[in-house]
Amino acid sequence: MIIKFKLNGKNVAIEAPGGERLIDLLRERLNLVGTKEGCGKGECGACTVLLDNKPVCSCLILAAQVNGRNVMTIEGVESDARLRAVQEAFVEAGSVQCGFCTPGMILSAAALLRANPKPSRDEIKRALSGNLCRCTGYEKIFDAVELASHKIMKKAASK
Amino acid sequence: MNAVETLNPTNLAQALKAKANKNVVAVAGGTDLLVRLHDRITQPWPKLLILENVKELHKITVTKTAITIGPSMTFSEIENSAILRKKALQLVTAAASAGSVQIRNRATIGGNIANGSPAGDTIPPLYVLEAILELSSAKGKRTVPIEKFFTGPGKTVLKPTELITAIKIPNRSNHGFFMRLATRKALAISKVSVAVNIIMNKSKVESAKIALGAVAPTVIRATLTEEYLRGKEINQAIIDEAARIVQDEARPIDDIRSLAIYRKEMVGVLLKRGLESVTTNG
Repeated sequence: MIIKFKLNGKNVAIEAPGGERLIDLLRERLNLVGTKEGCGKGECGACTVLLDNKPVCSCLILAAQVNGRNVMTIEGVESDARLRAVQEAFVEAGSVQCGFCTPGMILSAAALLRANPKPSRDEIKRALSGNLCRCTGYEKIFDAVELASHKIMKKAASK
Repeated sequence: MNAVETLNPTNLAQALKAKANKNVVAVAGGTDLLVRLHDRITQPWPKLLILENVKELHKITVTKTAITIGPSMTFSEIENSAILRKKALQLVTAAASAGSVQIRNRATIGGNIANGSPAGDTIPPLYVLEAILELSSAKGKRTVPIEKFFTGPGKTVLKPTELITAIKIPNRSNHGFFMRLATRKALAISKVSVAVNIIMNKSKVESAKIALGAVAPTVIRATLTEEYLRGKEINQAIIDEAARIVQDEARPIDDIRSLAIYRKEMVGVLLKRGLESVTTNG
């Protein structure tokens, strides 16, 4: 079938089986390899993308299920100010070691800040509990989300 | 990957017609199904029926007497539903504690029921809220009380040509709790869960409904404990005795997630914690 959806702000139409996983559609057909496959079973969050602004595991979604929807991947950082602010905060706070979990972490964090611009530390932990990181011990990742929150709030205030 | 073409109905009539072919597998959120398909690399995938665009299954309707939850409602939507927060807190707590943000954004209540896992987190709350399921096929529909739906682990009375089309609970104020225990707070399947719905008459228990998850081949009611609590004024001694009785009602097994002996003990602990919180919060 032809899958039509909005990807990182642009309309896309691509021929693919409806039963193909979204992560395969993104990586193999659209060459967007920023989305990582960890467990392939929804347990690690490395493949997180935003579907209509909500974090989901792209390994557990089929191409037919995104037809007509809005998908944002880490490559959307180019066009999305909030994603960019979170990415910059991750760099500044030193939240990246091997980097494999980072795209998913940034998307989950950006979705949190969209819904809740000033989250508490506990709210950040809950929002990121579906994203595993085996390097950092999470503290610097939580710091980065707090930093991104400050940056976004400051920017909004100065407008 | 064994990617296949899918059936993509846009309304319920089309979906039921497609499901008349009993080899077709319905996909709601896919958070359990795709994990299972992921593990069968060498076998072909079944024909998949995508329920994503069947709007009739994705809504909550409220009348004076009943709240009807569409089976495609996600755990996140249940967690954030104003009417359910008011009238079915056990269900809201269960939906909010399962999986992760990513899973809750996709996992549906209908899928959780149809999957038939004794550890399915929305099931004990639905037992104590006395949910009625509507099961439909192209030929018609029938209703089944949730306690009659499950026949064993992963086994239900749902026919291969049927879909769950509604989950109905009475529209009334409920008092109680849901508690679970798992290896960690996020992304872990329950080792034990307990849901309670309690009706008080002044300071005495008029009736209590208790359901236990992950401690038997299906979710079960703890009827002896319910009977024990009836008419009692709740105090620490009564809570302790109820926690002792409920342990013997659990019939757990040892499996990869936990041990029977631990599960039995924890059923008592969760009931005790829950009853203590209910009585201190009025």
